[in-house]
Amino acid sequence: MEPFNVQRIKLGIFILTGTILFITGVYFIGKKQNMFGNTIELFAVFNNINGLKPGNNVRYSGINVGTVNEINMISDTVIVVTVTIEKEISRHIKKDSRCAITSDGLVGSMIINIIPGTEESQKINPGDTIFSLSRIRTDQMLQTLSVTNENAALLTAEMLKIAEGIGDGKGLIGAIIKDPAITEDVRAIITNLKNTTNSSNLAINQLNKILTSLDRNDNLIGSLRDTTLAVKVKNIINNVEISSVQISQILKQLETTISETRQTIANAREGKGAINYLSNDPMLVKKIDRTITHLDSTILEINQAGIQLNQNLDALKKTWLLRKQFKEEKK
Amino acid sequence: MNTFQNFITSIRAFLFETGELAFFAGRFFKEVFNRPFEWKEFARQCYHIGNKSLFLVAITGFIIGLVFTLQSRPKMIELGAVAWLPSMVSISIIREIGPIITALICAGRIGSGIGAELGSMRVTEQIDAMEVSGTNPFKFLVVTRILATTLMIPLLVIMSDAVALFGSFLVENIKGDVSFTLYFDEVFRAIKFSDVFPATLKTFFFGFAIGLVGCYKGYYCKHGTAGVGKTANAAVVEASMLVFILDFTAVLVTDIFTS
Amino acid sequence: MNSDRKPVIVIKNLSKTFGDHKVLNQFTMELYEGETLVIMGKSGSGKSVMIKCLIGLETHDGGQITIMGKNLDTMDAATLNEIRTEVGFLFQGSALYDSMSVRENLEFPLRRHFKKFGEIGDATPLVMEALDSVGLGHTIDLMPEELSGGMKRRIAMARTLILKPKIILYDEPTTGLDPITSKEIVLLMKSIQQTYKTSSIVITHDVDCARFIADRMILLIDGINYAEGTYEELDRSQDPKIQAFFKK
Repeated sequence: MEPFNVQRIKLGIFILTGTILFITGVYFIGKKQNMFGNTIELFAVFNNINGLKPGNNVRYSGINVGTVNEINMISDTVIVVTVTIEKEISRHIKKDSRCAITSDGLVGSMIINIIPGTEESQKINPGDTIFSLSRIRTDQMLQTLSVTNENAALLTAEMLKIAEGIGDGKGLIGAIIKDPAITEDVRAIITNLKNTTNSSNLAINQLNKILTSLDRNDNLIGSLRDTTLAVKVKNIINNVEISSVQISQILKQLETTISETRQTIANAREGKGAINYLSNDPMLVKKIDRTITHLDSTILEINQAGIQLNQNLDALKKTWLLRKQFKEEKK
Repeated sequence: MNTFQNFITSIRAFLFETGELAFFAGRFFKEVFNRPFEWKEFARQCYHIGNKSLFLVAITGFIIGLVFTLQSRPKMIELGAVAWLPSMVSISIIREIGPIITALICAGRIGSGIGAELGSMRVTEQIDAMEVSGTNPFKFLVVTRILATTLMIPLLVIMSDAVALFGSFLVENIKGDVSFTLYFDEVFRAIKFSDVFPATLKTFFFGFAIGLVGCYKGYYCKHGTAGVGKTANAAVVEASMLVFILDFTAVLVTDIFTS
Repeated sequence: MNSDRKPVIVIKNLSKTFGDHKVLNQFTMELYEGETLVIMGKSGSGKSVMIKCLIGLETHDGGQITIMGKNLDTMDAATLNEIRTEVGFLFQGSALYDSMSVRENLEFPLRRHFKKFGEIGDATPLVMEALDSVGLGHTIDLMPEELSGGMKRRIAMARTLILKPKIILYDEPTTGLDPITSKEIVLLMKSIQQTYKTSSIVITHDVDCARFIADRMILLIDGINYAEGTYEELDRSQDPKIQAFFKK
């Protein structure tokens, strides 16, 4: 019956080859359509999609990064295109990227081109919307241009009139240019202006002096020191310091207590002391152990609280208003 | 008047044949779920239908891919669309050429083979002998063969497609300097699931039709040894016709669902 | 004649029509246990149709067939299969399965009719026994195409014997064989009949075969049981229709 077995093996190879070929093909096609693997969905908004179809490619900086999934018309001018993008690539796409629909080659199908955004912008998230780069069409451009031209013509005409008026000595500028009396007045004004500048310079110097004196204790701020508010602040800080000292004392005491307890337990384990019999009871030992662990964690917490307190104090010290106060405290 | 009567007779014969074939198919579906299933014979038939046809199918596929690309190339160059050749060729092969060519070759090779084998078994009373031996010859001979063609022909089509694409790639590689990666990247970009699945699905029907017609013709073979030759011939003709009709139907149906 | 013996097959008024042609017309006969009955008739006289009706390969239009006390027309498929393990059938052209080796050919009836033997693990001893009884033990791994016509006929007999049937139906056992081989086959049939104590129906138009093997003969003419008797009785008959068979 050997030939029969050989037949079976060959048949198995045949079936396996066919199946693998099929699965590989399906896998590759699916990969091209971004059906498997990590992808995200984005929305792109257009007012004209130029015959874009589901399945068309999406490019970012010229790389194929995804495909068009779905096209929905929201209103008469808004079309939302759902696109699937590879997750790997999507982290390079910024939030302020723009998209445009272009054609792929002369007879090619349409593609969506995502135009990179600015460097500073955040990366895009799934479900975000990219807006289209509104392309200015030539007719619009010409229209704008003609309006600009008309405006320019009007402007030139007005300018011409003004220039003529000035030449004739009409209006303010004309008068300035033509009337000698006004020229005298202007001169006088300039002299006055110079004088004003000088005196204002003096005033500024004096102001500076006043300001420097403000820095000393014996002036305005000195009086601020004596106000009740300052006293209160001082008191609070004193209290805080005292309490921190107390906390550290408590901590020390706790630590000694714990080390004592540890010693006791060690003694107990070694068979010394009165609670020697306790070692026979593992449950109890375990309980004590657990208590100690609790204690340890409590101490840790208290330590952290202390540290935080110190930090608070530091922050207070750094505050500009109280900086001087603390300097004095140190003295 | 005589021709008219002949016409009527042939119409009647055709309708009778269609009805009988449908009845035969119905019997297949009834018996296929009846236990016991003839695994050993099924495996043997799969081997004969699958492995033994592979060489022929692969050679044909290879040449089709080669020739098809060679023939389309000059025109595509003229149009300046030579870069589109891989996608064009692959879509034609996957959607239509691969399945239909493979099915026709199998109708020729397997359809006639089954027709002749069952026909001679009928004529030499081997089918009767089976029945007397307590084996349901329909289950043993017909069910296994129809199932084997139904399952093996899709596999043959897939392999033929692969070989044809490879043949097409060779032409592109030699004449157009297209790399393997680029070629198959283009191919897989062009092919959609909507191309692959209907094309694969219809090959199951092709396989079923080939097996069904071959078995039907063979199982009801008459008129001695001369009848066996006629049976084999009729099996090929009818199976090919049925494949074309099925293909046409499949394309129509696919068109409705994809557009 | 031997009315005290038990009939194993009883056919009553069997009719069969193909189109307008009445092949069997109220045919009646009995087969008794242990005897060899030869049925002779012209080609197309319905002998093969009649014998195939016995095993359910052909359906009949009228009449009644009883095999081993069971009515063939009213039995279900399972009973019919059971009957078929008891009734062996040797086909005209041997009908060996071309795509299978001799061993597989012989194992084939065992696959389905195993109920009679219980589950068979390895069928080789049974196959060898059947092959040895036809003297062809060495051919076990050959394919049918490698065998001569006579050998094929013997293998076919072995395939029939492997189920140890109580009745064997021979459909033209010597057709297409040369006289010497025919003689061998007939001798083999005789020895099988003696060894296995089977009852047999032999359909033939070979007079030599009939003379050698027949306990009793029936002439099937025009679809009816035209004459019945031993070889000698029929040979002596003056009826021209009967004489046509025996005249050389």
